[in-house]
Formats: sequence, structure tokens, C-alpha cells
Amino acid sequence: MDTSNPAVFVNAELLRMYVGRRVRAVIQVLKSDGGGTVTGKSTDEQQLVIKGHPPGPLSTFVEVIGIADSNQSILAEIWTNFGDNLDTASYNQVCQLANGDYKHLFI
Amino acid sequence: MFSSSQFESAPAFTGGGGGFNYSQSTQSADPVPTSAKSRDTQPMVPVTAKQIIEASQSTDDKSNFLVDGAIVSNVKLVGMAFDKAERVTDVSFVIDDGTGRIGCNRWVNEAVDRKEVEGLSDGTYVRIHGHLKSFHGNKQVVVFAIRPVTDYNEIANHFLECIYAHSCNARLQTGVLTPASSSSTLSTPSNGNQKATSNQFSQEYNLDGLNNIDKLVIEYLERPSSTVQEKGVHRDEIATQLKVPMAKILEAIESLESEGLIYSTIDEYHYKSTSTG
Repeated sequence: MDTSNPAVFVNAELLRMYVGRRVRAVIQVLKSDGGGTVTGKSTDEQQLVIKGHPPGPLSTFVEVIGIADSNQSILAEIWTNFGDNLDTASYNQVCQLANGDYKHLFI
Repeated sequence: MFSSSQFESAPAFTGGGGGFNYSQSTQSADPVPTSAKSRDTQPMVPVTAKQIIEASQSTDDKSNFLVDGAIVSNVKLVGMAFDKAERVTDVSFVIDDGTGRIGCNRWVNEAVDRKEVEGLSDGTYVRIHGHLKSFHGNKQVVVFAIRPVTDYNEIANHFLECIYAHSCNARLQTGVLTPASSSSTLSTPSNGNQKATSNQFSQEYNLDGLNNIDKLVIEYLERPSSTVQEKGVHRDEIATQLKVPMAKILEAIESLESEGLIYSTIDEYHYKSTSTG
């Protein structure tokens, strides 16, 4: 049992509140340069940079869990392919609810 | 009236999300120890790991846990599995859903159980259904089912369910809705989703989200002739009795199972309804 290291649901807007902390975000992959940087679109349609090396080929939508590196970048530890079909609007709603009225259920 | 009109959306959710019945949470003041009841009669509550970790033990019966003031016995979690350790009779692992980590234990008795845990590997997203238990002062989940997440919309969906369940319970706890008024809300005809039958099932669950064959299958499993069958009903029997092609039955079974309305029993051919046990 451990709640000491939660990964907070974030979109680009919320990311800035958690710099230095563990977060989870879904991005739509736009560009992967193969050199440790992946550029993607957040669920609130802003550009995010994910630093780190994906373990394999990425699907259209990817969830990364890692440390919020700056306002627009995440240092990824865990990459999960979420497939090519994802309701990003719902995920974005979860980000907002998990940081709003229902924060106490999450962090 | 504001809150009761909000509450009317409850049946729509219980249908869509599977075998929940939040009205049971109104029985939290019931002095009868619920641990004596079979797990099948308990609602399956979607929760976050943090909610489990913060759950308090009920004062009258130490085997019960209170989440949002309601007794929670069976839980649903969606998260990543880690630290899998296989032993001869069981497999333990940790579920990390991003809100916290909780230990899980799955007994492995039969080949079908073994197959279920084989698919479990570190870092994969799974949905687990299990029973909340305290072991040496640590809360853990004794898992009855592990299903890999294949459609990742399920993750957002699960957390929305958690929020919804929490809201329902919180509203009941604050006494805005007394149990009596909540049940009259549930059966009120003004809630156009409800069928006006005396069948308890249709009052507790909304089947509108299901297609016709799903409904036929669940109704078949609800029949007394089906519920008396200890090991559930064989899918061949369902197909023969309903005169529906097996392919359609299999589709319906898959969808009902994923909604948590039915479950497989002795093997993957026999099924029971979760609402009747």
C-alpha cells in the first residue's frame, strides 16, 4: 500500500502545476526523431515534448508516465501504446476532474 | 429536487457499468454483518487505489471496509500490474493505477486460472475484480478475475465510474436523499428508461444499453430454471433455447461479460448472471 508517488492525470494546461512531480499524460504522436524526443499533441490540443526512448514502435496514441520536466515536457519512464483509436476528449475530462472537484480520489 | 433529479441518472449508469447497485450503500447502517453474505450478492464498486488505502474499517465488523461511508466489499480496479510473483497455489502482484499501489492476490487452482495469470506481465494494464481484505494489517485485494485492457478508453471510463460511484455514495451519505426517497426515484415512471415491471432486476438495472440478444441472454440466465443450476447455464443451451445462432450468442456473452452482468463459472461455456449469483 503506497500513495506516496502518484502519477497525476494531466493535459498540457495542468502539466505546468506539476513540474518536478510524477504525471501521466496521453499524447497523439506527431513526430518521433529517434533520438530520445517525441513530439505529440496533448488531450487539450497543445504541443508536448516527451523525452526518453520508447521501448518499441508507438501507436497513434501513447500514454507516458514520468516526471514533469517543464511546462511542455515530460521525462518519460513508462510508455504504453493506447492504440490508434482513443476518445481523447474523455481522457481530457478525467484530467480535469482528477485535478478539480474529485482530486481527493486521485492524489 | 435538484439532487434527486441528478440521482435519476443512476440507473443509466448501473446498466452501462455492470453489476452495481448503489442503493445497497444505503444499508450501511444495517447491523447484519454483510461478510456473511456471499460475494455474489455484493455490489461491485469501482474504486481508485487511493480510496482503498484510505478506506476505514467498519467499527461493528472488522472484515468490512468503508469507502465514502458505505460498506465496500467487492471492488473493480484498472491499473498497471507490477511485481508479479508466481507461487504454486497463487500469484501475487501489485496494481498501480496512478493514485496508489495496492497488493493483489489471485488463487490459482485450475488450468483456467493459470491461463488468466499467465497473461499478466509487469507494466500491462489490467482490470481486476476482487474482494477487499485485510491481511496482517495490510489491505489487499483477493482477485477473482483479471482481464487485460485492450481498449484503452476503458481507463478513462473506469475513473469516470469511480467519480460517479463516489458522487452517488457521497450524496446518499449527506442525507440529501433518504433511502426511501431514493428507491421511489428509482422506480418512478417519469424516468423513461425504466420498464414498468415488477421484476426486481429491471428496477435495479437498466438494460437499454444492451442489444436485443444481450437482453434475451441475460433474461434467460435470470430465469428460475437457470438460476437453480449450480454450475450456470451452458452456452449451447442458451443458443438452443433462444433459437439464436451461436455466433450471436457468443457476441452477446462477450459483451455481457465485459459489462460485468454475467460471468463464466466452471469453464468458459457455462455462465451465470451476476445479479442472481
